[in-house]
Parts: sequence; structure tokens; C-alpha cells
Amino acid sequence: MRLVGVLSVVLPWIYVVSASKPGLVNTNVIRTVDLQGLPFVREQVGVVVQNEHDSKVYKTYTISVPMDKAPKLSQLSVHERKSGEELDVSKETVSGDTQLYRATLRRGLQPGEKLSLNIDYLFVSLVEPRPKAVGQSEDQSWLWEDQSLVASVYPTRKQKTVVKTRGDVLRFTPADAVKDGRHSVVFGPYTSDKSSRVEVGFKDNREQMEALTHGREYFVSHWANDLNVLEHYALRNRGPELSGGFDKVDQMVSKYMKRRDNLVKTLLVKVPADAREMYFVDEIGNVSTSAVSGRRKGEEPFKVLQMRPRYPMPGNWNYTWWHGYSVPLDRYLKISSAAAQPKHLLRLPFIGTLAGCASQEGELTVAMANAQNTAVRAYELRVTLPEGARDIDVKLPFAGQALLQPTKYYFDSVGRTVVVITHENIAPEMSSRHILVSYSYAPLTLWMKPAVVAAALFMLFMLASTASRMQYGLTPSSVSKPAGATTKSKATKKQAAAGKTE
Amino acid sequence: MVNKVLGLTAADQASLLRIAILGLISLVAIGSRLYSVIRFESVIHEFDPWFNYRTTRYLVDHGFDKFWNWFDETAWYPLGRVVGGTLYPGIMVTSATIYNALHLINIPVDIRNVCVFLAPAFSALTAIATYHLGKEVKNATAGLLAAAFIGVAPGYISRSVAGSYDNEGIAIFLLVFTFFLWLRSVRLGSALYGALTAISYFYMVSAWGGYVFIINLIPLHVFALLVMGRFSNRLYVAYSTFYVIGTLASMQIPFVGFQPTFTSEHMAALGTFGLIQLVAFASFARTLVPENHFRTLLRGAVVSLFVVGLSGLVLLTMSGVIAPWTGRFYSLWDTGYAKIHIPIIASVSEHQPTAWPNFFFDLNMLIWLLPAGIYFSFSELSDNHVFLILYSIFAAYFASVMVRLILTLTPIVCVLAGVAMAHVFETYLNLRDVPAAAQLKAKATPDVVAATDAVKSLVDAVSDDTAIEDTDSASGHKKDGKRGKGAKKNAAKAVEPTTDTSVDGAGTSSTQPSVPTSKELSPALKRFYALFPKFVVMTCFMFLLCMFQWHCSWITSTAYSSPSVVLSSRGPDGSHLIIDDFREAYYWLRKNTKPEAKVLSWWDYGYQLAGMADRTTLVDNNTWNNTHIATVGKIMASDEDTAYELARHHDVDYVLIVFGAMLGYSGDDINKFLWMVRIAQGVYPDDVKEEEFYNSQGQYAISDDASPAMKNSLMHKLSYYRFADVMGGQGFDRVRKQKLPTSVTLDNFEEAYTTENWMVRIYKVKDLDNLGRSHHAASKF
Repeated sequence: MRLVGVLSVVLPWIYVVSASKPGLVNTNVIRTVDLQGLPFVREQVGVVVQNEHDSKVYKTYTISVPMDKAPKLSQLSVHERKSGEELDVSKETVSGDTQLYRATLRRGLQPGEKLSLNIDYLFVSLVEPRPKAVGQSEDQSWLWEDQSLVASVYPTRKQKTVVKTRGDVLRFTPADAVKDGRHSVVFGPYTSDKSSRVEVGFKDNREQMEALTHGREYFVSHWANDLNVLEHYALRNRGPELSGGFDKVDQMVSKYMKRRDNLVKTLLVKVPADAREMYFVDEIGNVSTSAVSGRRKGEEPFKVLQMRPRYPMPGNWNYTWWHGYSVPLDRYLKISSAAAQPKHLLRLPFIGTLAGCASQEGELTVAMANAQNTAVRAYELRVTLPEGARDIDVKLPFAGQALLQPTKYYFDSVGRTVVVITHENIAPEMSSRHILVSYSYAPLTLWMKPAVVAAALFMLFMLASTASRMQYGLTPSSVSKPAGATTKSKATKKQAAAGKTE
Repeated sequence: MVNKVLGLTAADQASLLRIAILGLISLVAIGSRLYSVIRFESVIHEFDPWFNYRTTRYLVDHGFDKFWNWFDETAWYPLGRVVGGTLYPGIMVTSATIYNALHLINIPVDIRNVCVFLAPAFSALTAIATYHLGKEVKNATAGLLAAAFIGVAPGYISRSVAGSYDNEGIAIFLLVFTFFLWLRSVRLGSALYGALTAISYFYMVSAWGGYVFIINLIPLHVFALLVMGRFSNRLYVAYSTFYVIGTLASMQIPFVGFQPTFTSEHMAALGTFGLIQLVAFASFARTLVPENHFRTLLRGAVVSLFVVGLSGLVLLTMSGVIAPWTGRFYSLWDTGYAKIHIPIIASVSEHQPTAWPNFFFDLNMLIWLLPAGIYFSFSELSDNHVFLILYSIFAAYFASVMVRLILTLTPIVCVLAGVAMAHVFETYLNLRDVPAAAQLKAKATPDVVAATDAVKSLVDAVSDDTAIEDTDSASGHKKDGKRGKGAKKNAAKAVEPTTDTSVDGAGTSSTQPSVPTSKELSPALKRFYALFPKFVVMTCFMFLLCMFQWHCSWITSTAYSSPSVVLSSRGPDGSHLIIDDFREAYYWLRKNTKPEAKVLSWWDYGYQLAGMADRTTLVDNNTWNNTHIATVGKIMASDEDTAYELARHHDVDYVLIVFGAMLGYSGDDINKFLWMVRIAQGVYPDDVKEEEFYNSQGQYAISDDASPAMKNSLMHKLSYYRFADVMGGQGFDRVRKQKLPTSVTLDNFEEAYTTENWMVRIYKVKDLDNLGRSHHAASKF
């Protein structure tokens, strides 16, 4: 508490100092922009920092991200280059048109001392297609654009930027930049502090998808030993739009000729090998075009669920759907009986993967399923725990909060808890992370639901039984069974009469 | 009665059995309606159900008040539709109530599943209601048989399979239930049951326009009873209670409103209500006048009053005080009426007159049991039976005029078939009835001798035929006409196939030794003669019943279980292929167009567009505005430039057409095109002329020899645009079996999407050219 108080007094003072007269100075900055894994853009900024202040010792280093890039920032990490150790980074306020982050140095930077830092940014969906619209089977080209100088709150002496692409570089501005091979462009070195716009246009025909929203729900059932996984996507193809409208004839011809086009036709999802009861539905019903590959070996054996959307997706078309499957719960649930109350420990993958695929091939490869080409902008994870789970504790693989919501499901009496976790701009590394949910669950709770249902049915029968024994008329007609007995005797009499006439 | 099984008396056993049988019937009724869900999925079918589903969703999401006042601006653009005041809310409210009740006890089902399974669930209720109706008019046996029949009768299944979320789904239950309550209230003369009838009728009014059938049939029943001189206080109490409460209640439905006071459809009920008051007064007066004088007086009064009332009605109608019958009702009297005056009604296939095979297709053996049932009703003519006869005659007439009205015929056919069948069962399953066999003894002998000669001279296989003839003649001696008739009928049937040779053969062989030895029949032979005809008849009927069930299942599975939103076909290797082009196109519109985009299509697809694509439509299946539909027809039938101008005038963004030439789907827009032309011609006779769409040979051609109007029409262009490019020069239209047109140009519209099998094609209406040129000039440039 005290530290915070001190910092809040000290910090503004640091700004003032750093802005006015030289304190920390970036003596050399090298920025490498990696466009090879689109739609993810990895920027690594190697910076050499020197304390040029006379007396002051700096304990933090401030990083600024311009506001046009900040909403697309997925990850930010800072390492000391020499030791390779990661530094703590905290998000600060917005100042002007930059978002500030503060890395805490391991030890104060003495006057005159130098330090090398590696700052790694991961952005999603930073690069846009240019031209905006192309024909159905033309090449897709993209444009990366940024400022020539790395944004920083400190003065920078010298810097350069290297941009690496996957496809051929088509053009770049300014013209004095150097093209280094087919896939790389070098801007700088710059020594002035006048920033200008730099651009690289390049070809990249790989699929790039963007999930505007993505949700994943785990539903835990102890009764059926079943973990149900449901995923929802609102997906958009980030590729260039169609110029001149959709061309069915061209689509059929290129399918027949096995020519490439820009239409994403299949969506691939890796599911555990023991997944069963898979389904694929959208807002208006079941989608019948899906298939599952055979079991593939790997660290964890898996299958590939191949889903064909109702329509092929060229750039800027959307598709929204749900898919799901069931897996045995015991692979994910550990019960520690150490304590008096057995503690249930649930270890679940934080997020799955999805790959869009434009291939015309009938047989799709695992490599296609492994292509990390879907950027998730807004993600929500929900874990529905069984009714009666208490003392819930959640551990996340990142700094964040888990909300606990109550809900009621089929035949619930007291209801159950849903753990809700939201996250934005998911980095591909997240798919290997897990969340841990621990809760206590008394063995008898398992029998609560059948007992409640049985009691309800019993009550119903009792009620019906009582109602049938009630007398509704004002005058008691006959002793035991007023309605039934009379009609029955009437019926039998009638039958007897019919028999006699014959 | 003394025998107790499991501690239950015989009466308790019987009631337990009845409940069990009814439960099983309900299960079968629900089960046989689930083919479509099992084959396809839990999806809403066809066209109208999509509207009901959409409104139900709205009701569930927004609550009843919002639903009641809902003005839907996405339908009938730019007019909009007052949904709350132009629909029968019964089915939506029912579903929403079930949905909310289930959610109240923590069963969070999806509203779609409630809607999909509503009709099957109500079919089980229909079976139970039919049981009570059958019990009311005859006995529990007839009731159970009727319930079993209606549970599986294809005539009813056709409208109530899972996913067929339409008014009829619950309305048939209400129809049967209302009639059951009515008959009971007439029998008991109970005001309570009269009021219940009215409440049930109110529910029916809220659910289906077919309530008019009830409000005409019940007064007719009353009128018939009056004319037959069967007036009673019971009838008076029942009808007065029903009419007053029922009419007031029905006026609470906004769509009905004050119609019961001024439209022709409701005048019969009002007239009968007035009449019965007079008759009641007269019957009071009867106590003061001698009996035989009074009868003639009464009849004369009734007839003259009827004449006066009717002529008054006609006068009032002609002077415009009472609204005349609507077009749909006229087409019930004159089947040719709609074709001439209202093409939009005639263009709907379910409004066509019924073809004869349809009756057998939908009702199988029930249709020939119907006359038998009517006969039995006449033979014990109570008030209830008068009703059954009237119902069957009127429903049979309406069913033969309009295909879809087989639906209203089905319940009465089932009930009367149940009655007839119950008679058969009671006669032929009564194995204790030995005295009948004893009577045989004397007269049967000569025949038996003749039979023994035949047995001697013929081989075994033939002998059983003669044995059957014997039994026929033997039973013919008895006085019971019904029995002999039934046996004869069945003997005739059994002679042809001789399917059960082995059983009968065994029977004859056991009798052979005893026949020649003595003139007196041995007790075993007596028993044989008593039981054998029963056995044969029951075997035949069992066979027919099994055939009936088999037929129903087969019809249901092949003809009535296709959702029509999703189609299926068989691949060359026999695999099951799902053709899902409609939803492909709708989902494309839903996800890839602006939310406020307006989509123009023929009215058939309006409800589906609203439900699945969630976009604004110009016309839909609620065909209330003929002019608007004609405008759409005109757009489709005019040349590209006129169509473009009109489309822009109506803010159309996309045009959707259905095209079957790739797959051979015959229900496509080119085949409906002539109706579009006719409807457009009805409103714009100067702009659209049907004869221009036939070529010089007078044929409806689409290829290069088509008429110029046809080739220039928007529909033709949108359908065949670039189609020949994939089919090649030798391409064929697989629906019309004609060559494809070679050159189709399109400048003002742009292909937006075409589905997998080309079944749905969506075009975007181009924006105006930036330089103010026409699109033709721009594309040439």
C-alpha cells in the first residue's frame, strides 16, 4: 500500500523529468516486424537503454503503444537480453494518443549504465488487404503500414526497422528503403526524430480468419462422466472482398480444375481422439456437411473435425455457428482425497484452435489443421460445474478475473455455478495453456437430483390421487366411485342388452 | 366380476386396460410423426410454420403485450403488417405457455423444440379427445378404435408431423374436443358442458380460421334436430349457453372482432339462436294447445321462419349491411370460381379439388368404413348420431372440393369407422354367444350334406373355399342382417386370395370324420359352426387393420415427412444426400447483407425469408394485398429496364429466385412464372399479357424459340444467366426438358450468390451508375 502511495507521487515526476531533460535514452533500437504468421504480427524491439541522468536511478522503463495499434495488441512481454529474464509489465493510463505500459527493472539503472531489453509485441489483425477487392481467384495482397520511428517516451539516437513477409514483397515506401531478398525490407537506420509513414505491400495467399466473437463452454456432468464442449464462432474472412460479385461459374470451374481461389471452404478443428457425439449447427439448424478424420497420433492423440460452412467464404463474408462434442470427464478431473472433503480438480484447455482452409483438395492434411490462421478478438470461456459444487477456486494462465454466475439447468433445484472468463485478442500460444478449477463436491450430492425429481413425481401422483377421490357435486351421488361406476354399469348393461337382442 | 387379477375387479381391470391402450395409442401417434426429425433434424417445415415460429419467438422474447401490439415493418415493405391483429394467436400462445411452464420447473428447452414437437403432442391429445367422442356416441370400444385410427390416419398426419408447426396442429384437437363437449352437453343438457364447449370453441377461434366450420355445423345440428321435431330443454340449454358465451368470447380475438355480428359465415348461428328461442317459447305454448295441432303448427312456423330469415339475410347481404362471403368460401361452392376471379387462391396447390385416389391415400380402409358407420348411426338415431351424419356429409363435401379439407373430414371418418368396427368386433368377438349356434342345428343340415359331397369330390385346397361358402349360407339363415352382410362381404374377400389355407385346412380336416356318421351334429361341430365364421371374419379384419397400419406408416414415411426446407435424394450408390440449398441461401442473406436490406422474391418464400434470413420482404405467404403481389409479379415479368426501375422504386436490394434446372426440382419459379404473369395481369392488364409468354407454337418455351416477352423477362434472365456456361452447348434444362437459351445478358443486376446446386440464385440490384449512364451503356463501354 505504502509503495503504491510512494509510486503515485514519484511517477508523474518521472514523466516530467523524462520529457524535459535527458534521463533515459534509447541509444540503439532495432525493430523486427514478422509478417510471416498472419493474421498475427510479431514485433520485436531490441533496445539499448542508457541512463544519462546525472544522479537519478531508474527502476522502471516505460513502453508506449500508439492508440491505433493498442486495441489490437494481444501480448506484450519484456526480457533482459543478457540474462533472458522476463520483467513484470503493468498497464498504465492512456496519455494523449498512446497507451503506456511500465516494465519494472530487476534493479535500478545507475547513472551512465546501459541495459539491453527485448520487447515483444503480438498484434492481431494489424494488416489489411490492399487492394480492398480482387477477383475470386486472383492473388491476395496486403499492406503493412506504420511509423518509421518506434514510439517511445524516451529520445532515441538511432534506429532501424526490418519487415519480413511470407510472400513476395510487391512494393514499399519510402523508396529509399532497402529490399533484402524477396521477403524482407529494411527501413533506416534513422537518426533524426522526424517520423514518417512507411509501407510494405506484399503478396500472401494464405487464409486469414478473424473470430469477432468466440465462446467455449464446458459442461461438467459427474453422472454421465461426461465433459461436454461447445464452441461458438462468429467468423469473418479477413481476405480481400470480391470485386464484381460472386461468380458461381468460376467457382465451379476452379473446383473442377483444382485451381486455387480465395474462398474458404472448410473449417478445421482439432478435437481429442476420444471425442464423440459431435455436432455442427448454426442459427437455422443442422449443417449436414461435416466429417471427422481418423485418429492421429501425437503428444495427445486427436481427430480433425472438418466443417464445411453452408457457403464458401470469400473475403469479408461472415459465418456464425456452433459445434460441440463430448469427452470422458475422468481425463480432465482429478479427485484429491487428502482433505476431509474430497477436492475436485478440473484441468481444462483454455481455448481450442480453428483453421480456415481454402484448399480444393478432397483430403485435408493435419498441417492444414495446424495452421494458426484465426485471430480471436473477443473470447468468453464458460465452465458449468455440477449442481452442488462448492468452494470454487479458479486459476488462470494469465492475469485476469473469473466471474461466478448462478444458473439452473434441467431439473435443477438449487442451481449450479458457471465460471465465466473473458479475454480479448487471443495469442496462438494460449491454446496450449490450461485453466484449473477446483471445487468440493460431496458424494451424496450426486443423488440430490434423482431424489428431487422422484419427490416431485410422487407429489404429482399424490395430488392426482387425491383429486380423483374428491367429490365435486353438491349432492353426494353414490358412495365410492360416482362417475366411473355408473358409466361402467351402464356400458355393461348396454352390452348385455345387445347380446339379448341378437 | 368375482375374478380378481392383482387385486383388481373386472371393472378396474377394464379401466386400467383402457388407460394403457390410450397411452399406447398416444405413443404411436407421437412416434409415427417423428420420421422427419429422425431422418432430417428438428427443424420447422414448409412455409406458414416459419411465420408461426417467428411470431412465437417474438412472443417468448418480448412478452405478450408487445406481441399483441406488434407492427412488423419488415413484412410487406413498405406497407408493414399489424401482426397482432391479423393472426390467430392460439398456437403461439400455446407454445409460449408450454415454454414458460417448462422453464418454471427448470427445464430450459429451446422454443424451437417446443414448436417442432407441438403438433405430435397435440395429436396424442386428439386421440384422447376422439376416444371420448367415440365413447360419447357409442361405447369405449368404438372410442378406442376411433382413437387408434386418428392416431395414425395419414389425412391428419399430413398436417401434424413434427416440425409442421401450423394452426391445424392444435386446431384438429380443438375441433374434436369441442364437438365432444357439444355432444355431451346436448346429451346431458348441462349448462356446465355448454360453457365448456364455448371455452373450447374460443380456444379454437384463437387458433384457426376453420372455426367457421364449428360455428356453422353446431347450429346446423340444432336446426336439423328442430326440424326433426327433437326439440328438448337439454338442446335449448346446451345451445343457448354455447352460443352466447362462445360468440362473446370469440369476439375477443382482434382478428375476428365484430365479424360474428355482420358476416355471412356467422349468420346461420345467429339465426338458429333466434329460432331456438322461438321454439322454446312454442314448446312452452304446447302445454296450452292440443298435441297434434301443435306439431303441424310448429313445423310450419319453423320452415316459414327459416325462409323469412334466409331471405332477410340475402337482402341484408345484397344491401351491404352484412359482409358477403369471402372468395375462399365462394370457391367452396364453385370450384371454378377462384380460377376465374382470384388467381392467387387458385395458384395454391392445396386449394385444388381433391382427386379420388387422395381419399384412399389419406384414409385407406376408413373411407369405406365411413358409409357403414353412417348406416349404424341411422340404425340407432339419437341426437348425437344426427350430428355425426351431418358432420360426415358436410365434411365429405368440403374435402372433395379442396384438398386440404380432408383434414376436417378425417376425425369424423375415424369416429364413424370406429363405430362400424366396434359393431363388427362386438358381433364377431362375442365367443360366449352359443345359443346362436344351437339355432343353426335344424336348418344347417342340408347344406352340410351338400358340403360333404363337395368335400369328398374335391381336393383339400379347394375344400376350404366351400366351407366358407357354407358358413356364409349358414349364417345367412339367421335373422341378424348385419352379421350376414358382414360375413358375406368377408367371405367374398376371403375366397379370392385363400391366404389362410393352412389354418382352415386344419379346421376342415378335424370335422371330416364327424360329418357323415350322424345326422345330429356333434357338440364339437356345433361349436365349430358357431365359431368358424367369426374366426374367418376376424382374421380378415385383422388383416385389413394390419394393412391399414402398414399403409399409414408407409404414407407417413414417404409422403408426409419431408420438411421441404431440406430436400433429400439418393446418390447413384444409394447413399442419402441432403440438399440444403434453401437454408444455404437464407443463411447467406442473414450473415452477409445489411440488416435493413430488402429482398424481393415470389410470395411463397416470404415467410421463410423473414424467418431464416431475417430480412425485409416485399410480399409473403399472408397474401392479403393482391396489388402488391401483382407488382412483384410484374417486376418478374417485365423486361430488365422496367424491372430495374420498379425495383429501385421499391428500394429492393436483392432479388431471390428459385431455379431447379440443375437438379430437376420442378417446384421452381419458372414453373410458377405463369401464375405470376396471371396475377400481374389481373392488376396491370396493359403491361402484362399472358399470351405474350407463349411462343409462336403456343408453347411455354424457355430456350431460344421462346417468345420475346419470355426471353426479355427478368425471371427468365435471372434464372438462366450464365447457366449455359457450366452446362455446355448441349446443356439441358432438367425440369422442362428443353435446350438452354444460348445468350442471356444481364446488366442492371449483379450475381450476389448462387447456391451449391443452383437452386437459389440471389442477385443484387446495382446502384445507379456513377456517370449517369444506363447500365447497358456502361457494360458496353
